[in-house]
Amino acid sequence: MIGLKSTLNVIDNSGALLVECVNILKQKVNNGWGSVGDEIVCVVKRARPVSVAAQASVTAVKVRKGDVRRAVIVRTRKSVRRPDGRIIRFDDNAAVLLNNKREMLGTRIGGVVSADLRMKGWSKIVSLAPKTV
Amino acid sequence: MKVEIDSFSGYRIYPSKGKLFVRGDSKVFRFATSKNASLFLQRKNPRKIAWTQVYRRMHKKGVTEEVAKKRSRRTVKHQRGIVGADLATIAARRNQTAAERQKQRLAAISKAKTEKKEKESKKAKPVTRANVPSGPKISKQQMKGGKGGR
Repeated sequence: MIGLKSTLNVIDNSGALLVECVNILKQKVNNGWGSVGDEIVCVVKRARPVSVAAQASVTAVKVRKGDVRRAVIVRTRKSVRRPDGRIIRFDDNAAVLLNNKREMLGTRIGGVVSADLRMKGWSKIVSLAPKTV
Repeated sequence: MKVEIDSFSGYRIYPSKGKLFVRGDSKVFRFATSKNASLFLQRKNPRKIAWTQVYRRMHKKGVTEEVAKKRSRRTVKHQRGIVGADLATIAARRNQTAAERQKQRLAAISKAKTEKKEKESKKAKPVTRANVPSGPKISKQQMKGGKGGR
């Protein structure tokens, strides 16, 4: 249940640590609330400091505080009901940053992600995650 | 169908029942009811709450019947006849006194001795008869008038 001003942890290695949601991209039925697998627009609130060496390299993605990025939600505190009847809830809200082509900015994911992502067409993220629940 | 176990109370969770909670350290907890989930989130210790399975196991509740049943079986002695001697004869043998047994033995011995003597006496007669020659000592040739007796 992610909406305006919701904060999410970033669990990839893009450099961002905490992002704040500013918009949920519309789908057929999300009623203004984002859930696992939904795309959001977010502002980077806290980021890992970028070292001089990393800044020099061409390939490095620089995510800084104040950047506006797209992201996909991978965990929610709000409990989600699966088709088989089980209800799953996580301890925090978490997201993974994306570029404009809906590809991941980072190359690694640290932490569990919801298995609902595969259903919603984010199997790349699921395959990178160390654990899916 | 997979039946899960409640991580707080130890109750069984049937499909489509209960809630799954994933903690920050990516540990998975399953709760059968909201009561269990609530107590877990209040950080209560299930070992101190009397109705949980952990508590009951710790305090040995509800297992008294099983313990009583577990006693080992004792071997029971039973008498019965074997080949060539049924129970009655064995019992009779066992119940007779030493004196009686001695008497029987002596009787058996004396009986055997008399039988042997009788046998000997019967046997002795034909043997003695065989040894006594019935006529003069002449060969068959002599009897025919041959030269055998020279």
